[in-house]
Formats: sequence, structure tokens, C-alpha cells
Amino acid sequence: MKQYKHLLKPYIIWAAVLIVIPLILIALYAFTEEGNEVLTLSFTFDNFRKFAEATYVNVILKSFRLGLVTTVICLAAGYPLAFIISRSPERVQGLLILLVTIPEWINMLLRTYAWMNLLSDNGIINQLLGLLGIDPVTMMYTDFSVILGLVCNFMPFMVIPIYTSLSKMDHSLIEAAYDLGANRFQTFWKVIWKLSMPGVVNGIMMVFLLSISTFVIPKLLGGGQYMLIGNLIESQFISVGDWNFGAAISLILAVIILIFMHFMKKMDSQDD
Amino acid sequence: MNNKKKTSFFSRFYVVLCLAFFYLPILVTMIFSFNSSKSLTHLSGFSLRWYQELINNVEVSKAVYVSLSVAILATVISTILGTITAIGLSRSRKVVRDLILNINEIPILNPEIVTAISLMLLFSSAGFRKGYVTMLLAHIAFCTPYVITSVYPKVRSLDPNLANAAMDLGATPFEALVKVIVPMIKEGIFAGALLAFTMSFDDFVISYFVSGNGVKNISIVVYNMTKRINPTINALSTVVILVITLVLVAMNVAPAIMKARGYKGNKKRERILLCILAALLCVGLVRCGSVARGSHVLKVYNAGEYIDLSLLEEFEQEYGCTVVYETFESNEMMYTKLASGESYDILIPSDYMIERLIKEDYVQALDWDLIPNRENLLPEVLDKSYDPGNRYSCPYFWGTVGILYDTTVVDEEDLSGGWELLRNEKYKGQLYMYDSERDSFMIALKALGYSMNTTDMDEIQNAYEWLIAQRDSMNPIYAGDDVIDNMISGNKAIAVVYSGDASYIISENPDLDYLTPAQGTNVWYDAMLITRDCNEVDLAHAFINFMISEESALANSEEVGYTSPVASAFEEMRDTTYEGVSSYVPQIENDKNEIFGYQEPKVKQHYAELWTKVKAQ
Repeated sequence: MKQYKHLLKPYIIWAAVLIVIPLILIALYAFTEEGNEVLTLSFTFDNFRKFAEATYVNVILKSFRLGLVTTVICLAAGYPLAFIISRSPERVQGLLILLVTIPEWINMLLRTYAWMNLLSDNGIINQLLGLLGIDPVTMMYTDFSVILGLVCNFMPFMVIPIYTSLSKMDHSLIEAAYDLGANRFQTFWKVIWKLSMPGVVNGIMMVFLLSISTFVIPKLLGGGQYMLIGNLIESQFISVGDWNFGAAISLILAVIILIFMHFMKKMDSQDD
Repeated sequence: MNNKKKTSFFSRFYVVLCLAFFYLPILVTMIFSFNSSKSLTHLSGFSLRWYQELINNVEVSKAVYVSLSVAILATVISTILGTITAIGLSRSRKVVRDLILNINEIPILNPEIVTAISLMLLFSSAGFRKGYVTMLLAHIAFCTPYVITSVYPKVRSLDPNLANAAMDLGATPFEALVKVIVPMIKEGIFAGALLAFTMSFDDFVISYFVSGNGVKNISIVVYNMTKRINPTINALSTVVILVITLVLVAMNVAPAIMKARGYKGNKKRERILLCILAALLCVGLVRCGSVARGSHVLKVYNAGEYIDLSLLEEFEQEYGCTVVYETFESNEMMYTKLASGESYDILIPSDYMIERLIKEDYVQALDWDLIPNRENLLPEVLDKSYDPGNRYSCPYFWGTVGILYDTTVVDEEDLSGGWELLRNEKYKGQLYMYDSERDSFMIALKALGYSMNTTDMDEIQNAYEWLIAQRDSMNPIYAGDDVIDNMISGNKAIAVVYSGDASYIISENPDLDYLTPAQGTNVWYDAMLITRDCNEVDLAHAFINFMISEESALANSEEVGYTSPVASAFEEMRDTTYEGVSSYVPQIENDKNEIFGYQEPKVKQHYAELWTKVKAQ
């Protein structure tokens, strides 16, 4: 059996080069000054001090708020969908899950452009409203458009894991709950919800992670004033050219996320 | 019973509602791929012209090829690597296993943008040339962890004695692996491979940061198209949607049909599939090789949607060479790529960036004897402050920055305020600013009567306050190039734009007009440069000469809408296509006008930080 142990070796090297070293590089950039060369590293905390300014703290708070709102909406809308799918006949289940997954295969940018055309002031939705005699509504470049875009793009990541948990569930447990006199609400809350927790936690993690670090959707649907942490990082690397500050923000984001994920996983394993 | 029926109606309704929400944007994309005009909001008739253009578009077909081949290669490699790792993991000590599993989680849990940046830093510090290989490596790097997480649980649930039993019966370890273990974890491997393919095919963020040198996947091409969203991409996505739907349906339906018919002989099918895959890869490698083998290759780096692409083909044919054409979003992005070690032969940046590139020794002096078409150039565009005597640069396009306004909304008398029009509360919420720190600060500095190249901290602070006050009172949108589409559709009444974009927009929406404010504005010049480490100096000069020939310049100006520096093309456009479009003729007589100058990094960063603060509120 020991023969297969060496199969691990390629990945150890791979992971060291393509996962660990890049992260060390981020940390290195984050703690050094601009224009550093290998021989003349000068360490500093300035990049982190700069981040403590109100503007940047606001950016991160805004990102978290948006991530939270998106996650809550995805959960509230996605759980019933997953539940209904898991209760349908088996043949239909496969089809429905396929229908939920297909949009994820279509380029995310393209779907976002389509939303821009739908939501703009003279866009398709406003044209339709106009036919009904309703005055145009400003939807583009608002919280509404950004959240709509995020939910549309990320909801499948909530639905699929919840569906997986629900469909694995042993139905006799639900029957047992009814037999023992639980009502519908109790059965749902005490049995079904509890048993679907792994899927819920997974879905929350996926959606939160995706929505907090995205930079394309807010930029397109929210305009330049919709500055989130992803946009801040992108602009440091692409337009401002302050790689060290950009690396510092990335590091902060990564640390916050990893702590959050660790916490969620703990919660998940306690539920088991 | 009654109750149950009712819920099932609501359930059905809810499912339909959710699906409608998911499919609405896709439906819109598909419908507008058949639109006869370029508009993405107004249907004007049915046509297949965008499909025609799709077939002819070299950039898109290259991108499809890159996306597909990277996705296939990354899927195959990461599936193999992930599977053997998962098997190895189940046999190793707990300490090693936990360590590897934890490291493996990092790319999954880390925000995509952090992974992208970490890989970019790796490639640039290792001195890797960014391109196909770096993109492929990055894709394998982020796909493999997903394969491991879907295969490993399957391996763990196997009876560890299975392989032993096989070996006791005379199988070699390799045979035991391939014939016993792999078939039993097939499901996990398949799920992992599917996940890897999906992630790789649709990836934008990571590819965006790690690729370069003209290698673009579909997402990057789409992202670069924001300037003038082109329905060709709708046609492409319609094709992609149909293919994917067919493949997925076939994958889900075919097994059921085969089962029903008692079909056997899976082996054969698998072999055929493998052959097809191998053939695809071979074709791909040959194609990649053939591009690299072309004797003369000229690498041109230009702003997005800023050329008549057919000129490149014409040049290639005339000179028997290959042009690798790559585009950037902003001058800063071009500089970042250049500084990170990418090599180009020809750059087409703007004035202040040209000044910087000359200062930092990125470019070489032009040999004007090799550019006889210099006679064609307008005297107004030569010998400017960014490159006195045009030692290094040859003008490409030029113009001003000004205010585009809707004549049906904006009152004539309000125009005399110049830039203050942007703070006229009558037009609150009706305004697009341009999301660029230099252009926005230019407006504020000019409105206050300062130089737009000022380094005086008090003046900059005043300009910053001007912008903050404007933000609070006017509630502007800081838009990028989507302003072009928005103004054509008449979404808002006022926008800050480049004169060239204004010409194009006005030609599409004649209600609009262009104002060059009296307080002075930015007069800009984009020009062609030859890099210091250019390998094809003669060819590069030939390219510059070709671009300022009378015919090319006219075709280019006609396609892009920007003002040509070539006299005959300028006059022809002024008197025909853009007759009466005031923005085509830049108003440069005002002494208060300036050209952007080079900014010291410290000053530039100060501006950039303030601009971030304006936007981030």
C-alpha cells in the first residue's frame, strides 16, 4: 500500500511553487517599500498605516456590507428554490439542476453587459415601463443594480450545495418527526434546516467569498464611484502602480477571509 | 390534498420566476445578436450580420481557441495531478496529509483577486514572459485544488485492501491503480474534471492579471470591448450557449438512452473521445508553433478599439510579416505591463506617458528618413512639449477633452460657464464624469484657473475640494468607456469625453453637441513609438510610415472617429463624414490649453490617492 505514497511528491513541489511562494511574495511586497530590489529590501509598516485611513476603512466596510446583503438575499431566495427542486420527481430534479447550472457556463461579463442594457435609463426595462405609461426609473449605477448583478451571478453557488445536502437527506427522519407529533414548522426548523446546514454553510461561504472580492460587476453596474475592496486592489496594480499598497490590501483581505472561513468551518463541524 | 396542490402551484411559479431571473440576461444577449443595428437597447430588425462578422473576426476566433485549449489542457493536467495527489494523500501520514489539505484549501478560500495577484507577482519576479504558458500554469494552479477536494473523499471511502488484493493477484502497482482504484473513484474524478473545465473556461480575473503578449481568452476580449460594445460578442455568446446546452443535454440524456437500449462498449467510445481530444491538442500545438515560427513578427501595443483592424491585415500582406496586436485599457496599464518586463516593438500611448517613457529610456529615436510619409502630417501636431522636435514619436491621433451635452436639455446660456456647467445644479444627476484621475483633476484645476500640471499642494487640495463639492452637489456617475454607449442612447444630458469619442457619438446621436470650455482644456496627442529593445527596427519604421500614409490614415480615422494628424485625411473627414461635427476639428487656439506633462511618482500617487477618496466617498 505504501507504493502510492510517492504520488504525493509532484503536488508538494507544485503547491510550494504555485501556492506558497506567491503568498510569501504578497507578504513581502506588503511589508516593503516601493522600488525594492532583492538586495535592497527595506521593511515598513507604512502600507498598513495608510490603510487605516477613513476612506479605505470605509471601502472595506462597504464591501463587507454588500457581501452580507448579497449572501442573505441569495440564501433567502436560493433555499426555497433548492428545497422545491429536491422535492420534485427525480427526472425533473436533474433537469432543474442543469437549468440552474447552465448560466454559470455563460461568460459572467456578458451576462453583466446584458444587465446594463436592461437596466439603463433608456434601457429595455424602462422602454417596457414606458409602454405601460410608467415614468422611467433610474436603476443603473445604484446599490440596486450592483446587488441584482451579484445575486444573479452568484445564486447558483448557493442553490447547488443546499440542494446536494437536501437530496442526501434521509426521508424517514422527516416522517419520524411527523410521527412524533412535530408540526410542519417544527419539522422544518428542527430536522430539515439542521440537516441541510452543511450545504447552507458551504453556500454562504461560496457566495460571500465571491461577492466580497469581485471587482468587475460593481465597476460595470455601479460605475467608478462604486469602489469596493476588489476595485481598490485592482486600481493599485493596474492604474496607480503602487504594488506594495495593493499587496498590503490583498493580504488584509486574505487574512480577514481566512479567519472568517475558519470560523464558518468550525460552525459547520460543530453542527455535525 | 387541496393544500398540497396549492403549494405545488406556488412552487412551480417560484421555480419559473427564479429561472426567468437567471435567463433574462442570456435571453437579451441572444435576441440582440440578431439585431440589424449596433444598438443593444433598441431592436431595429433581424439580421445575421453579427454572425458574419464573428466568422471574420480574427481576434475573437483566436480568443475562442485560447479559452478552449487552455480549458482542455488545464482540465486534463489538473485532473491527473489532482487524482494522483488524492490517492497519495490517503496513503500518507496524518501530519503531511493535514498540511497538504490545508495548503490546498488556500486557493479555494482565497479571494480570486488575491490568487491572481500572487501569481502575477510570482511570474514577474521569476522573469517569466507572460502569455499562454503563464495562463495555463495559473489555470492548472487554481483548478487542481478543486479536483483534489472532489476526488479525495471518494478515495478515502475505498477499502484500503483493494489495491493490496489486486497486487497479491499479480497486478503491478500501476495496474492496480489504473484498473482497480481509478474505476472506483471515477465519479469523483469526473465531477472534479467538470468543475475544473467550468472554472477555467469562464475565468476572467486570474487570466486578466497573468496573461499578456497578445494572449487573450474570451473574457479578456469581452472586457476590452467595453468601449464600443460590439454585438459580435452577442453572436459569439449565442453560439457558446447553444453548444454548451447541447453538450450538457447530450451528457445527461445520452447515458439514459444508452442504458435503456442496453448499450455496451464504453471502451470504444472513450477511445474515440480520447482520440478527438488528442487531435485537438495537436492542432493547437501546431497552431501555436506556427505563430511563433513566422519570420518577421511585429508586436504592437495600442489602446482598445483604436484602430481599423483591416489595416493590420493589409500591412501583414504587404510586408509578409505577422502583426501581434495587443490592446490596453489605459496608459497606466500599458506602463505596468511594460515595467513588468513585457516586450513590444511599437507602443501608441499619450503625450505625458510618452514623456515618461522617453525619460525612463524605454524607447529609441526614430529614423525619420525611413518615414517618407512624414510630409503628410499637419504642422499643428508636430514639435510639442512632450517630445520636442519629434525625435521619438510620430503622431497617431489628437484632440481635446470637452463637454458633450444634449442640446434638447441644456440651455444655451449655461454653456458660457465652461467647466462650471458640471456644477450647475440644474443638471444634477444628469452627468457622467470620466473615471480618470488626471482628466478629472484637469477639469477642477482649469475651472479654478490653475495649471493642470501643477505640483503645488494647495492648488491640488483646492481642486480636490472642487471635485468633492461637485460630487456632493451633482451626484455624477464616474463612468468608463460605457459613457459612449450611454450617451448614444441618450441616458444622461452631459458627459466629459475626448473629442474623438464625441465625434463618433454625435454622428450616432445628432441631438448632442461638443463644448470646448473657455477656461482651457487638455490638448492631447497619441503617438507611435519604437521601443528600445525592438527586434524589427526596419519593420517598425515601415509600420509607422504605413499608418500615416494618406489612405491608411483616412481609413483609420473613419473607423475610429478620432481626428487624424494627416492633412489630407483630416480635411476629407472634416468635409464629408463629420461635416458639421464640431468636435472633429480640435479648438486648440486658446492659450489656456495645455498638454499633460510627466508626473513624478510621488505627485502621481498623491493625485491617485485623492481620486480614490473622491470616488470612495
